[in-house]
Amino acid sequence: MGDFLQYVEMESFLHKLDPRTKFMFFIIMSVLTSFVKSGTALLFLFVVFTAIWITSHIGKFIIVLAKKVKVLLLFIFLLWLVLGAFKINEGPVIYRTALTLFDNSYTFSLDWFDLYKGSVFALRIFLMISAFYTVILSTNFSQIILGLRSWNVPYAVAFGIGLVFQIIPMIIKEFSTIMEAQSSRGLEVDKCSAIAKMKNYVIISLPLLFRVLGKGHSISLAMHYYKLNFKVKRTSFKLIRASYLDAIFVSVTVISTAITAVLQYMFYIPL
Amino acid sequence: MSFTVKGIKYKYSTDACFVLKDVSFEIEEAQVTAIVGPSGCGKTTLVSILSGVIPTLMPMGEFEGSFDVGENVNISVVSQSPENQLFGYGVEDAISFGIENMGLKNDEIVRRVEYVLDLLNIQHLRKRSVATLSGGQRQAVCIASVLAMQPDILIMDEPVSSLDPNGKKMIQFVLNQLRATGQSTVIVDNNLDWFSDIVDHVVGLIDGEVVFDGDKNEFYDNFEIQGKLGVTIPQEVEIYRELSKKVNGLNKFCTINDAKREIGKLIGPERACIKNVNSFMKSEEVLVSEGICKTFQDGFHALVNVDAVFERSKVISILGQNGSGKTTFVKHLNGLYRPTTGTVRYNGIETTGKSVAQISKDIILVFQHPEHMLFEETVYKELVFCATAQGVDYSEEEALSLLSCYDLLEDKDELPVNLSMGKKHLLTILSVFFSSAEVIIFDEPTLGMDLHLKKKLEDIIKRLIGKGKTVIIISHDIPLVFKISDQILILDEGVKLTQNTKQALADCDDIFEKINITLPPVVILSKYFGLSEACSDVNSFVQEIVDRLIC
Repeated sequence: MGDFLQYVEMESFLHKLDPRTKFMFFIIMSVLTSFVKSGTALLFLFVVFTAIWITSHIGKFIIVLAKKVKVLLLFIFLLWLVLGAFKINEGPVIYRTALTLFDNSYTFSLDWFDLYKGSVFALRIFLMISAFYTVILSTNFSQIILGLRSWNVPYAVAFGIGLVFQIIPMIIKEFSTIMEAQSSRGLEVDKCSAIAKMKNYVIISLPLLFRVLGKGHSISLAMHYYKLNFKVKRTSFKLIRASYLDAIFVSVTVISTAITAVLQYMFYIPL
Repeated sequence: MSFTVKGIKYKYSTDACFVLKDVSFEIEEAQVTAIVGPSGCGKTTLVSILSGVIPTLMPMGEFEGSFDVGENVNISVVSQSPENQLFGYGVEDAISFGIENMGLKNDEIVRRVEYVLDLLNIQHLRKRSVATLSGGQRQAVCIASVLAMQPDILIMDEPVSSLDPNGKKMIQFVLNQLRATGQSTVIVDNNLDWFSDIVDHVVGLIDGEVVFDGDKNEFYDNFEIQGKLGVTIPQEVEIYRELSKKVNGLNKFCTINDAKREIGKLIGPERACIKNVNSFMKSEEVLVSEGICKTFQDGFHALVNVDAVFERSKVISILGQNGSGKTTFVKHLNGLYRPTTGTVRYNGIETTGKSVAQISKDIILVFQHPEHMLFEETVYKELVFCATAQGVDYSEEEALSLLSCYDLLEDKDELPVNLSMGKKHLLTILSVFFSSAEVIIFDEPTLGMDLHLKKKLEDIIKRLIGKGKTVIIISHDIPLVFKISDQILILDEGVKLTQNTKQALADCDDIFEKINITLPPVVILSKYFGLSEACSDVNSFVQEIVDRLIC
């Protein structure tokens, strides 16, 4: 999908929410997923997230995200699996054997608990990333700036954050166009060895750098033309107001947080 | 009240040459001033000085002279690329950005946003996102965003360079509205064709010096300066210029209707058009597309059953408004896109299964924006890049000769990105000379080019045809298309309307009306006066008129 890591224009309830509501959701979920280590609690959170994605019709974008981060998640899962493989844990055993290495005895023990631990850590990371992505998908950069400004974040910071989200799609598109332009002139980026491909990608980085610098120059000129001055108190054309949808969403967030905390307390297995 | 530019001199660094040398002129209030000049003459530097970028953002150079405006005078600029200028996701966000920076009260902001939306007739766009707008719509929103700041002077730097004919018409309408409101406007553009109706005052620069400063009519009367400046003038004016050199007593004209009247006085009124004799010589088919359909992932049907044939040693132009599928179609020809159904055959062999780089040995695409293609350290290396990538033999002597032929030899060790836009474009076009490709596709090759560079482009295309290559061009420069093309392929909303010789298409008013593209004046006048064939360039039209006078 060409619009990965970008706002997607839709008419979902998530898109209609006040950006501050979505920021609160992201902050609460980030904190929760940082501290919650119960598999049951995390599964519950995953169910809540899935319900949000389905009702707001952004499920297919989350599937794209999952495909993009699957290698990372697999790495985390396997890492914890490997780290736990040389510890003997309680509970059902999948495979256990003794081995000797350099005159030292070791026990290789793959337990149910290692699978559980790997899954918990991978799920936490996925929920953290998808909480952020849910907000990015449903909040355009102008709304991000408005939301941050309403929280009295200095305009320079809010504008900078909004600018990053404005520029990311531009840079992705520039990279894609440069790839097309150079391969159209004979630079092989498809049917060649991995080393040749890497070398050719490095070659492409130079025109990308020139274009990015050029765009940066154009943007700074535009800021001058529009008399952007962070010292001047800015007013705003649009005002953001919370609606009943925000009240519902905040309630769902609070209730989910409470249930997650209870599940964490009741079903926590020390990792 | 006028605004005075007095004795401006500027160089980018102490050891560089002066880019501007003693530039002085007046910007009259409520008038439209056009600043024209060949590529690299200093127009962009002058815009930077007038807008205050130099010295505010760029204090490093040496600046002398003055631009006498009071502290409260507000100068706004509309750049070539609205996507680099607009801040804001939605149209309302983008329009209100500048006035929010001024710290105005909310009700004043709302009033100004409503005013510019009404003035430019873009109320229907207010809830759209900027990314979904066409080029012309984006440029109109950009103009609205700076107009909302109520500038005393509005400077527009090549505002239609990348727009299609519909986009240009939209900006023409906007400019007419601005003129009616008494807005002082400066337009920097070497193509006077699209805004000649509203220009009041022309300032011409060559090598950083003012060589002309007068009103539009004085400029149109001065043939010598038009040639030196490389300005693209309306074709009607060009016809008058060339015809008046051969015919005495011809009254001046600068519109189609005036041309019909004045030329009619010479040769008599309109006649029924004599059918064109088809002098098109068919040659070997080198590239064929059969039933190309393309449906993107979101379900959009970009191309619907497009068949086309491209013959050896021919120039085929592809016409259509933005969004008609021109670029999508040519990207199928060079393998960047794979068709949903249909095939592309080169010399009878399907191109599927080959990579883009492999196809580029036979079919090469030169992109619209040269900066996507330039990356070598020197102009020379950039010229021979295709040869190096494709393993084609070339001689240094040949390469240097080519650079010399197109006035790039003195820049051969220069970093290509430091060249002017027109020269950059020329360089990317020249690099195909050392490619093995037999089919060369140019996407908007005239972007950033003045008339001198366009003439070089015509020469390059003739040389390529002379070497037996096939040239495919996407262009919105309709007079150029008719001048150099053998055939024209017309696309509309992904559907091929026709592919035929320009002579045959000259009679197809209905097709051009459907795609909202106006035929060039020489074609319209040829048909009006019933010439033996519809002329496609000014010189042949003038010759036909002179021949008829003699008869």
